[in-house]
Amino acid sequence: MRYTFAKTLLELAKKDKRIVLMTGDLGAHLFEPLREVLKERFINTGVAEHNMVTAAAGLAYAGLKPWIYSIAPFVTIKVLEEIRNDVSIPNNNVKIVGLGGGYDYAIAGPTHHILQDVSMILSLQNFKVYAPGFSEGIEEIMKKMNREKNPSYLRLAKAEKTDFKIAGFVPVRRLVKGTGLTVIVLGSMINRVMPAYSELTISGAVDLWLVTEMPFEFPKELVVSIEKTKKLVVIEEHVKIGALGSYIADFLLQRRIELKKYAHLYAKGYISYRYGSRDFYLKESGLDRNTIKKTLKKLI
Amino acid sequence: MSKLKANKADLRVSLRKKMITLAAKTSTHYPHIGSCLSCIDILIQVMIYEMSPADKFILSKGHAALALYVVLSRLGKIPKKVLEKTYFQEGTQFGLHTPSSLKEDIPLATGSLGHGLSFAAGLAKGYELTGKDTRYVYCMMSDGECNEGAVWEAAQFASANRLDNLIAIIDRNRLQAFGATGEVLGDAASPAKWRAFGFDTAVCDGHNLAEIAAEVKKFKKIKNNKPHILICNTIRGKGIKAIENRIESNYTAMVGKTLDQALKDIGKL
Repeated sequence: MRYTFAKTLLELAKKDKRIVLMTGDLGAHLFEPLREVLKERFINTGVAEHNMVTAAAGLAYAGLKPWIYSIAPFVTIKVLEEIRNDVSIPNNNVKIVGLGGGYDYAIAGPTHHILQDVSMILSLQNFKVYAPGFSEGIEEIMKKMNREKNPSYLRLAKAEKTDFKIAGFVPVRRLVKGTGLTVIVLGSMINRVMPAYSELTISGAVDLWLVTEMPFEFPKELVVSIEKTKKLVVIEEHVKIGALGSYIADFLLQRRIELKKYAHLYAKGYISYRYGSRDFYLKESGLDRNTIKKTLKKLI
Repeated sequence: MSKLKANKADLRVSLRKKMITLAAKTSTHYPHIGSCLSCIDILIQVMIYEMSPADKFILSKGHAALALYVVLSRLGKIPKKVLEKTYFQEGTQFGLHTPSSLKEDIPLATGSLGHGLSFAAGLAKGYELTGKDTRYVYCMMSDGECNEGAVWEAAQFASANRLDNLIAIIDRNRLQAFGATGEVLGDAASPAKWRAFGFDTAVCDGHNLAEIAAEVKKFKKIKNNKPHILICNTIRGKGIKAIENRIESNYTAMVGKTLDQALKDIGKL
């Protein structure tokens, strides 16, 4: 996704001279073309993320449109106070781009993962969160972010190749139509849910939805789906509290929608304290393909 | 010379009285009167006499908000009656720390220390990128505030980006919340430290308006691609003898005899 991000930002910045890219010393072998074109609008702020966030707020105050970029934990949990005080509350137009939401940084370990970013950022006023499921959606998301005057957070992941390709961007979209079980997935977890779904032998059962923007308005069809199936699975590479699961549970409670069956698959943090691939961590949390498949089968 | 300028010396007294009177209305020690008294002279000289209309001032030491309010009020940016009637009251725009609802004159709401210099540096960079680099951005910090790591991140950023349209100021009263700066983490307002971080550095008496004026004017003449910093030696609680240079200066409510004596002392400043 970072290549798509870099390419898209280059195109946007050619047209919009107010765009500034600030990077926390990241982007070797990626941002060189951007640096060449943006010139003084490309700023390597060094390994100093606290300053990067608040300086970006200053640039926004001057009428510019700063995009700040680093590994996701370094532009979220590390700098949460700067984001709250200097970006969120005064509604300064800063775009935060975090690379590697969830367990994406794999064997780099917990310091480079972030499992709480969506909940933290969503708890801040004026913010929107974008968590693309596919590289194909990023261009549209970034155009939208650039049009919007409020701050937002883009949660990028590696977006491994899948057979499933869709163009454009819709905040909440139906990927597969079914009648037996409603499944709602946040962002890049889709690249583990799709293979699990493909291996299911029961066809026409799963009504599969992908969420890429939060907070969101519930599409009418999604509400109808939940009301009809009365069986729901929510899947996210994020801790239990504060992101997609909580958001949906709150909605269902408000609307008095009752379920017969419900499962929430989420990131459980660090269980064995061992290091491994993204799949290693996903498996420990029960977010791997097999567990997803079993959960879907059981609930259908 | 305008009336405003002719009354310059009187302002040191009248704005101090205004702060003390407003602090007294709260019946609490919350307004940090000691910190307000240590920086008020700098605010008077810089904001009323040195700044151009397009320049911006960031009060990074947000706990001295009352000092900023009375100066902005003097400049006609905050209606005097509104400040007098609403300061510290329920639903006020003017709380103990600076608000984010007056963006034109208070570009950044502060309170948590260590944010102002980054914002000011970003703004100075923004003015450079948008061809408005004749504008100056001022940022006032406290010396205790310079304990914060983010201040030094900002210092590196300002220096690396050669922001000579940035004028940082330190209110160096040598006291922080629970001790002397020298006894807590050392003197983070030391000129040597700031020079080492690439700043064009000057030191002056922060209660001497002529000295402050001279240093700021010098900064504006120098175009050496370095951000500037004026380290102002000050006295916390300046003007109220009982609390001058004392930790208690920020923990003293302006009530009863303390208030009466404070107003008498200020009259003799």
